[in-house]
Amino acid sequence: MKTDNTLLRLARTDWFGPLLVTVLAIALIRGFSPNFLSSFNIQILLLAIAVNALIAFSQMIIIAIGQMNLSVGAIGGLAAISFAGLMQVWGLSAPMAAIAAVLIGVVCGMLNGLLIAITGISAFVITLATLSIYKGINLGITRAEPFYGVPGQVKAFGSALLVGPVPWLAAPTIIIAFALWFMLRRQPIGRFILAIGGNSHAAELSGISIRTTMIVAHGISGLLASVAGILLVSRLQIGQPSIGDDWLILSFAAPVIGGAVLAGGHVSVGATLLGVVIVAIITQALVLFSIDPFLVQVVLGAMILAAVGINRLRETHLGKKTGKA
Amino acid sequence: MDKQPVFQARNIEKVFPGVRALKGVNLSLEPGSIHALLGENGAGKSTLIKVITGVHHQSSGQILVDGQEVRFGNPREAIARGIGVVHQERNLIPRFSIAENIHMEKLGAHYLKPIDYAALNRDARRWLQALNLEVDPAMPVSELSVAQMQLVEIAKALSLQSRVLLLDEPTTSLTPSETDNLFRILRRLRDDGASLVFVSHKLEEVLDICDRVTVLRDGENACESRSMEGLGRQDLVRLMIGRAEGGGGWRKRAVEHNPLVLELKGVSTAIGHRDVSLSVRKGEIVGLYGLVGAGRTELAKSIMGKFAVTEGEVRIEDRPARIRSVAEAIHEYGVGYVSEDRKGDGLILQHSVLANAGVPIWRKLSNAFGVLSDSRIRAAVTPFLQKLEVKTPSLSQTVGNLSGGNQQKISVAKWLAADVKLLIVDEPSVGIDIKTKAYLHDLLRELADSGTAILVITSDMPEMVALADRIVVMDRYRVKGVVENNGVYADMSEGIMGLIHDAERVTALSRQA
Repeated sequence: MKTDNTLLRLARTDWFGPLLVTVLAIALIRGFSPNFLSSFNIQILLLAIAVNALIAFSQMIIIAIGQMNLSVGAIGGLAAISFAGLMQVWGLSAPMAAIAAVLIGVVCGMLNGLLIAITGISAFVITLATLSIYKGINLGITRAEPFYGVPGQVKAFGSALLVGPVPWLAAPTIIIAFALWFMLRRQPIGRFILAIGGNSHAAELSGISIRTTMIVAHGISGLLASVAGILLVSRLQIGQPSIGDDWLILSFAAPVIGGAVLAGGHVSVGATLLGVVIVAIITQALVLFSIDPFLVQVVLGAMILAAVGINRLRETHLGKKTGKA
Repeated sequence: MDKQPVFQARNIEKVFPGVRALKGVNLSLEPGSIHALLGENGAGKSTLIKVITGVHHQSSGQILVDGQEVRFGNPREAIARGIGVVHQERNLIPRFSIAENIHMEKLGAHYLKPIDYAALNRDARRWLQALNLEVDPAMPVSELSVAQMQLVEIAKALSLQSRVLLLDEPTTSLTPSETDNLFRILRRLRDDGASLVFVSHKLEEVLDICDRVTVLRDGENACESRSMEGLGRQDLVRLMIGRAEGGGGWRKRAVEHNPLVLELKGVSTAIGHRDVSLSVRKGEIVGLYGLVGAGRTELAKSIMGKFAVTEGEVRIEDRPARIRSVAEAIHEYGVGYVSEDRKGDGLILQHSVLANAGVPIWRKLSNAFGVLSDSRIRAAVTPFLQKLEVKTPSLSQTVGNLSGGNQQKISVAKWLAADVKLLIVDEPSVGIDIKTKAYLHDLLRELADSGTAILVITSDMPEMVALADRIVVMDRYRVKGVVENNGVYADMSEGIMGLIHDAERVTALSRQA
């Protein structure tokens, strides 16, 4: 009886399912391929997770307010080439260039939020348009040619190890994950973001400014996307204009695997992180077993479908009345 | 009384493009009273509430709080002046805790300062205790019952130092005992000096709990902030509709020899009906009565082809009917269904009046190339919309913007236009006022007189007695019996409840055996 209850309670949390899948996947893949948990392989996994987690968080914060941001990749790409370009062309120091690139990301994000708030047009349409605009600016600046002049210290940061197999690149991600968790849990602005996603009408009547909150959420989304872009430049060691092109599906997959409700009002930082880990492990496994890399897309799509299906089951069978607002 | 009114609305006018919704309305609220705000749909009640709570601005007139003139720019400012509302729809964040919902307002002052949940819970518990709500403030709101959520909203309003509390149809989704509990609390709040405004269609409740009353009719005061003393149900009705309530309007109609339009013989369905037999003759109104969960709506939907008939026979106009879809029911067999859930099933709220009223006849009206013209639809539906006195600025008005009564009229009109032989009407008067209800009854009778067979599903026994020629009683997906209506309420309710309780006794016995 007691264990039944514990199990039920665990099944209701967002992180339990993904954690189970993570552990099982690791055990299974380790069984077939002992190399999987080699220090080098773990390092590669963590590098991918560090960047992908930021991409996922960038979408997650918008899912929280019940919207979507199709321009996550475009913002990340624009920030990435700005970072590299500012260092190569204008000779800015790495920290200055990083700050400038982050600012660009925040502005791009806030512009999304502002346009949605002012026009009342759906986030889908607005971010589809800005996706094209941001990407166009990116290509206009770079002429689709990478910036190669990334300074050595940035390249070093991209490959340095912090402790054991943990790369330095993971440090910003860890800090950001904690900050996001704290914000969504304990800070009014985080609660407002979730409140608007849960029932925007009620939130408004409680005196929450929907407009401000929406713009802040999109600003945060832009910030996270730009940090992801910057980290990717230091990992790839060039300012590649195509950075961000393949972020979209991943950005939705991880939060959804982590139990996020696409209608808004409910996301989990920890479970989203686990979602990223699962995607990374499975992608890695496909490589290890030398399966056609193009299958990765198929698998990712299938995983989104499976995750949505499981979330739905959880809602209907485990959640009591999840009173739809 | 010489108590200073907490709140006064003086000569409020509100003009919308094309409509004068309020034409100089007065309202004055005193502390320590429960004030009924009555009026039929379209009388201007909702508009007045929106003006009072800062959602709309009045076009002219004054609002005074504690004798001082105020002007609310938005709902927040009204709340800040102590005017709280508990809306019909729940305004809580489902996944947030009770305490957080109650204090959401106060968190707005800082965006970044960490929230002290322990303090929130402590403070929330105080307000919950004041309302006798024994729940853990840390529990998410989504786990509460509707009645409890409502109390949380009241707690929220009280925690904001509301002195005027508007309750908009607070009892619609409550059980009788929950309603009693709510009333106990409201009375206590009144005794503590609060000024409550109670908006409801249920006159019995108004008579039970309110001590003062304002009635609106056609955007004007039919009576203004007077004492309830000496007012009875009939007086309130007269104030609301400007005349006395009709006496039900039942009359004996000779239909025994008309041909059968619908006949079910021993029908079982995929969703659990067993051995259901009933018939409706041409021009006859048959009532389908039963408690909630008796399977009436489900039976109607099975007839319409939404759920499969697994056994028995459905005959329409004396030929066997195998209806597999709603489209077939309408076009092949001439069966129409007015849904109980207007918003969910019956109407497309974002579409225009014209589009809604015309949906069932699109197929019939389209020309050889399958092309529709608005003018043909307009010509086909306008007579029916006029007959039902649908109040709409134009046929291109979005249905969602019309009042509940007008929406119901449109959902009936669309079937009239489709010229159906059998019309199934599910809970026709839920959410509509007395006047519209009477019209609707007249209309259904006229319709039957002109030869349409009608099957009415309703849980409102007076309505059933006023309308039906025969009443079929259902319980737990079976037909329990048929009562011939003689128009006498007492006889009928006895007969009907007898059939239902008999059934219960029999099942209880068979369970024992």
